Amino acid sequence: MPPTHATRLVSDVLDKQLVQGRKKLGKVDGLVIVLREGKPPRVGYIECGTAVVARRLGRWCERLVLALNRRFGVREHPRYRIPWSKVKEIDINVEVELDEHPLLAWEEWLSKHVVGRIPFAK
Amino acid sequence: MKSSLLQIALGIITSIGGFLEVGSIATAAQAGASFRYGLIWAIVLGTLCLVFLIEMSGRLAAVSEHTIADAVRERFGFDFAIWPRLAELLVNYLVLGAEIGGVCLGLKVLTGIDARWWAVPVALILWFALWVGTLDIIENATSILGLLTIAFVVAAVKMHPDWIPLARGAVAPVFPPRSESGQYWFTAVSILGATISPYMFYFYSSGAVEDGWKEKDLPANRVTAILGMSFGALMSIGVLVVSAQVFNPRGIDIKRYEQIALVLTPALHQWGWPIFGISLAVCCFGAAVEISLASAYSMAQTFGWNWGEDEKPASRARFSLTYTILIFLSIIPLLLGVDPLKQTIVSMALTAIVLPLAILPFLLLLNDEKFVGTHRNGPIGNAVVTFTIFMAAIIAIVAVPLEIVGGG
Repeated sequence: MPPTHATRLVSDVLDKQLVQGRKKLGKVDGLVIVLREGKPPRVGYIECGTAVVARRLGRWCERLVLALNRRFGVREHPRYRIPWSKVKEIDINVEVELDEHPLLAWEEWLSKHVVGRIPFAK
Repeated sequence: MKSSLLQIALGIITSIGGFLEVGSIATAAQAGASFRYGLIWAIVLGTLCLVFLIEMSGRLAAVSEHTIADAVRERFGFDFAIWPRLAELLVNYLVLGAEIGGVCLGLKVLTGIDARWWAVPVALILWFALWVGTLDIIENATSILGLLTIAFVVAAVKMHPDWIPLARGAVAPVFPPRSESGQYWFTAVSILGATISPYMFYFYSSGAVEDGWKEKDLPANRVTAILGMSFGALMSIGVLVVSAQVFNPRGIDIKRYEQIALVLTPALHQWGWPIFGISLAVCCFGAAVEISLASAYSMAQTFGWNWGEDEKPASRARFSLTYTILIFLSIIPLLLGVDPLKQTIVSMALTAIVLPLAILPFLLLLNDEKFVGTHRNGPIGNAVVTFTIFMAAIIAIVAVPLEIVGGG
């Protein structure tokens, strides 16, 4: 269950390390608030990915990343959303429970195609 | 679980690798040759600041389980953290090149084969050590070999320095006449830049997190910071003093590394030359290990990648590739024939420029209950960090003009 006590989104969640067990998945690059008619807004998703990070540095950076991703991208979408319901715990790290890890696409691609081919890497 | 003694070894390698390296050897030797004991105070002052900053890096890591780079990213946000990290990466690139150059020069002293030929083999050995080694193995091997640098202190004592002017140089220096003050202050700035190296904080705090330090390790952390850094400073002062004894009376200014290589010969005779070569190679190798890892640590932590020196590279692909690429790119200037001494001095001055941004976060993080709980900085710690930030800011502003006046 996601934490129910008061959580300060920017200071307690944004830019924290995202983990599942001992795997570091990345960091909390963005937070998505869902506006609902007649109800208070709700934290919908954690956003991750290079394009999300890039947007925070400036539009030019986002455009650059999107262009690079189209050309060289390993990941289908440079933005990835994790539903808030998948958040298990917010402590030193933000612990999530996911069934698949598209966030590690680059890590796995590099591991398979580059690093893994160098001797003594495994 | 590691014993406190082993933890202190982490500090000793940080001191040997991070302290006595190509920059401190070059700057201390230049200082001794040109100003005799007149700049010992810069080593003492830099070390004092460093002891506090290293202790804080370890304390933050032990209490919050965050490295400096992690904590800065969380506390100040990625969009702030990325800029100092990128600036440091650029500086680390140059410093790493200088350290690898130092290893090559050490090997040149030993073999007579030109430094440029050593660049590729040294880069390969460095990379391979990181690729297959664990933090413990690399740490212990470098610390044991690094003990050889005691030779500088032995040589300094054997040359019977004048102890009273030496002590005065450490605490109450007499500043030189106006005509020499440009070079004097430039050398002082280079010594401070060589002493307070930001990569040490990232390396030290990442090592502490990797070794799983907890609050109970705080006393060991304090001892490590004080002993480790003082040990390093002692070696550095040793270099300065032998250089003062050998070069200063003869009016020799140091323009090339080959000159520094002669520094141990009067005291250690035929052993002086090879011991200098080995010491230079080992110290610079230790520093190169730290800079390569520190760069990979700080990038991985800023972007949230998997990191860790004790894991297989395939499971830390981006982390391992970062140091791999950095190491092999860093030898380019050396291969192109850039003078290693020039690169060293310029990169020390650039270190001084990025320093204020690197240490400003210490003041906030080490006073933030969220990170350090009850182990916040005391007034003395805060005063030292504030002083260091001001000093670093002044240095950053004057380093470039001084380089033009005094470095050329």
